[in-house]
Amino acid sequence: MSASLASVLALGTGYLLLLFLCALAVERGWIPSRIARHPAVYTLALGVYASAWAIYGSLELASNAGFGYLAYYLGVAGAFLLAPVLLVPIQRLSRTYQLSSLADLFAFRFRSRWVGTLVTLVSLLAVIPLLALQVQTMGDAIFLVTGAASPSLLALVFCGLIALFTILFGARHTRLHARHDTLLVTIALASAVKLGAMLALGAFALFVVFDGPADLQAWLDGPGRAAQAGVEHLDPAQWRTLLLLFFAAAFLMPHMFHITFAETLSRRTLLQAAWTLPLFLLLMALPVPLILWGAQRVGAEATGGGAAYLAFALSESWWVGALAFIAGLAAASGTMIIISLALSGMILNHLVLVAHPPVDQPDLYRWLRWLRRALIGAVILGGWLFYRTVGVHHDLTTLGLAAFIGMAQCLPGMLALLYWPGANRKGMVSGLVAGTLIWLAGLWPPLLTGLPALVLLPPGLEGLTGEPVWYIVTLVSLATNILILILVSLATRTSPGERAAAEACSVDAVIRPKRLPLEATNGEEFKHYLARALGEDVASREVDRALAALHLSPLESRPYALRRLRDRIQANLSGLMGPSVAQDIVDRYLPYRQDGGDATEDIHFVESRLEAYRTRLTGLARELDGLRRYHRRTLTRLPVGLCAFGDDGELLMWNDALSTLTGIPGESVIGARRDSLPAPWDELLGRILAEPHSHLYKQPVELEGGLRYLTLHKAELEDDDDERGGKVILIEDHSEMKWLEDELVHAARLASIGQLAAGVAHEIGNPITGISSLAQNLRYDTDDPQLLETAGQIQQLTDRVSRIVSSLVGFAHGGRHVAGQAFAPVSMATVTDEALHLIHLARSGEDVDYHNLCPPDLVVQGDAQRLLQVMINLLGNARDASEPGGRVVVDATPEGEWLLVTVTDEGHGIDERVRDHLFEPFTTTKPPGEGTGLGLPLVYSIIAEHRGQIDIDSPPPGQPCGTRISLWLPLNRQDGESPDEPDSDR
Amino acid sequence: MYVYRLMLFLVFGGYLLSPLLMSGWANPGVAWYRPFLIWGVLIALTVWLEQKRKLDER
Repeated sequence: MSASLASVLALGTGYLLLLFLCALAVERGWIPSRIARHPAVYTLALGVYASAWAIYGSLELASNAGFGYLAYYLGVAGAFLLAPVLLVPIQRLSRTYQLSSLADLFAFRFRSRWVGTLVTLVSLLAVIPLLALQVQTMGDAIFLVTGAASPSLLALVFCGLIALFTILFGARHTRLHARHDTLLVTIALASAVKLGAMLALGAFALFVVFDGPADLQAWLDGPGRAAQAGVEHLDPAQWRTLLLLFFAAAFLMPHMFHITFAETLSRRTLLQAAWTLPLFLLLMALPVPLILWGAQRVGAEATGGGAAYLAFALSESWWVGALAFIAGLAAASGTMIIISLALSGMILNHLVLVAHPPVDQPDLYRWLRWLRRALIGAVILGGWLFYRTVGVHHDLTTLGLAAFIGMAQCLPGMLALLYWPGANRKGMVSGLVAGTLIWLAGLWPPLLTGLPALVLLPPGLEGLTGEPVWYIVTLVSLATNILILILVSLATRTSPGERAAAEACSVDAVIRPKRLPLEATNGEEFKHYLARALGEDVASREVDRALAALHLSPLESRPYALRRLRDRIQANLSGLMGPSVAQDIVDRYLPYRQDGGDATEDIHFVESRLEAYRTRLTGLARELDGLRRYHRRTLTRLPVGLCAFGDDGELLMWNDALSTLTGIPGESVIGARRDSLPAPWDELLGRILAEPHSHLYKQPVELEGGLRYLTLHKAELEDDDDERGGKVILIEDHSEMKWLEDELVHAARLASIGQLAAGVAHEIGNPITGISSLAQNLRYDTDDPQLLETAGQIQQLTDRVSRIVSSLVGFAHGGRHVAGQAFAPVSMATVTDEALHLIHLARSGEDVDYHNLCPPDLVVQGDAQRLLQVMINLLGNARDASEPGGRVVVDATPEGEWLLVTVTDEGHGIDERVRDHLFEPFTTTKPPGEGTGLGLPLVYSIIAEHRGQIDIDSPPPGQPCGTRISLWLPLNRQDGESPDEPDSDR
Repeated sequence: MYVYRLMLFLVFGGYLLSPLLMSGWANPGVAWYRPFLIWGVLIALTVWLEQKRKLDER
């Protein structure tokens, strides 16, 4: 099989063009986002792990070690199976703190920019052989297909195209930590292409070279056995070591870390990858032995590249070679794109920005973007140079193992980061440096110069003599690394900052941040402070971005919110420039105030974190969390207002009842200082806090709904053995109790006056009767018409006084109607007249014009005294609502078995807001002190006693203003039967 | 959370027993696809565990 250089160039360029088109289609929205964001795309993107090693290296390993090649796939599958306990915590950390690479994570945990620099250097050294491996497979494949003398130049062309693609579609954003749909879909396409090509090659071997699975089995049991003679089964210890290396690669390799954690995907998708990625890898691994056995069946010889390229020898057909070439190119290109992207970010954040901090850059975003682009080009060029100078002299397994063993040196640090808060920077750095030096001494001299490995076996491990170098180097370097990490960490002190970061990273720990005040007092000041480091434009954009993410206003001044804003800005800057530079900038330009007292724990923040971790708690911790939630709910739903302040005056709790009473939601004030609360709460709470006594009774407070009377109680939270102090305040609304008390006093006063009036009326009655009798006698004793007229007038006036007195006595004695007592016929005209007499006694009603239009012959069944009270209340209300000179009309009309009595005024009417509550006690439209709000409820209850109905129209139909009260009362019937209920639709 | 322990057990158990996989290479009487069959069963087990985990966290 031989093809021209031009056709290979066309094939490779065509494939890369397909990637460009795919990226363009996603960017332009030609591919719907539901497809671009489908979990299958993520799984395929994770398939970036299957680099050119999976296509060619696996064949080489399978021909030497049989099923030993499966370690490459099973190690990663194992890591993803542990996603809930291993990958999800890393994802949580990387997302919370915007950590986009392994170096970011280490620099964050061990609180040192030099740790980030060290991890970057180790990653660079480890990944360069892997990058060279990708380029080498391209060069070897081109040579195999074309027989060209200088395939490296064509490989360089492909490298250039891959770099161009990465720069165009991967480095457009300054932040690494974001979901880049374009990149993910393109990598997924590359994975789909290599998977499709591998499956096609496997199917070709199984069904074309062999005659199906049975034929293959027969060949393996028969003539094929001889071909397997060269296969040496891996020693179980070596196999397990290989598994460990590939297990570590799943989350340590820069390209895997980038896809798994830096591309912000949901936790659900990551957990789903626990089985979808192993399934993808199974499909990738399945064709490998088929291709190998197929090539052996057709008698293919391993060429200069070893058994790695046996797929090209499966058939003379051009398309088989093209498939093998495209599979390799797809695998290599995907890996190179993500490796260059991830490494450029690490180099930028931990080498370039550390050496040259970006302070005072006029256009920071542009500067960062161009630096990344240059670094992407440099990384890919570095890979090509390593291939040209070193890679060409080695097989794929040697290059690949060198990379994986180098990267595994970060494994002890990573496990300590997640599971051992006691590990410290000195231990991690010592272990990593020792392990890396052993790796360099053991594998790099043979790699670079052909000299033998420099490995000194420690006492006790002499038994390893004669084992493969990679195996010895892995064991010795990792054992030394782990031992030094543990010993140095135990022997040295850990800084407080590192301890805090360890708690943040630890799987079982919850961050316990301190409550410290910041120098900047609101979002706008944040911009001002940050502008000194980032320039006004960038500072403003970063602060606005953080404010928007937290849904905060630029004028937000709550200390709690400002601390969250500071954390968010640090996380965002970390995504931009790495955690070391971000922390330096934030510590220096957004400092905490130094004048505060002892810092206490940010309880509200701790609680919110506990809520987020709830599903991860087990056993006793889960039970305790259940109890915490129960107590929290008790306080939140307490039907009495409750708030709590810390020692520093910061508000820590504001329950539901208090939110309802104040109209202020808890989320908007928790974390604020007492003096920044809206009026009147700042002053009221300040008063109780300053008060030497623990109670303030019935404090008048003007709220939106009117005057309220609040009672406050406070208690100290300090305890001898508890460092968390502060005060808790209970706020009870005693307004209704206060009004009832006032009403009771008023009613008692009225009762006294009533009794007095009845006594006075009784005393007046006797002389009036005497005057009336004397006037009667006078009429009998004289015929003088003038005297007769005078006597008649005296009698009329005394009759009038008698009626008034009798009304007063009647009203004073008018109590509740006794249930079961029969009602008597009552004339509404008479009742209205009496009510008007009494109303006239009040001087304020004299200027209102009353009209009693009730026909005297219309009689209802009822209690005259109770109905009198109804009319007095209604006429009194009408009088109070009327302007001087206004008209109040009382009318009555029979409606079937009912008498409709209406009281209509032309006053100001009733406010809509209280119209629906008029029959509830204490509802009044009158100014404070003038109305009790008990009149209409009393009317309602009396009318109900009469089985009648009451209705209010304000304004009445056909009138521009005023109010009409309509009463339906049962008409008096001769047969003594009660009428049916009046129509309820009225 | 108890599902996680089962997963840990599965992974470490698999790690210790995994060398047995290699014996299937060109071994008469052993189907060539045996390692892949075991691998497929493990994937099915993981799917089942994932469903259990979802129920556990609901």
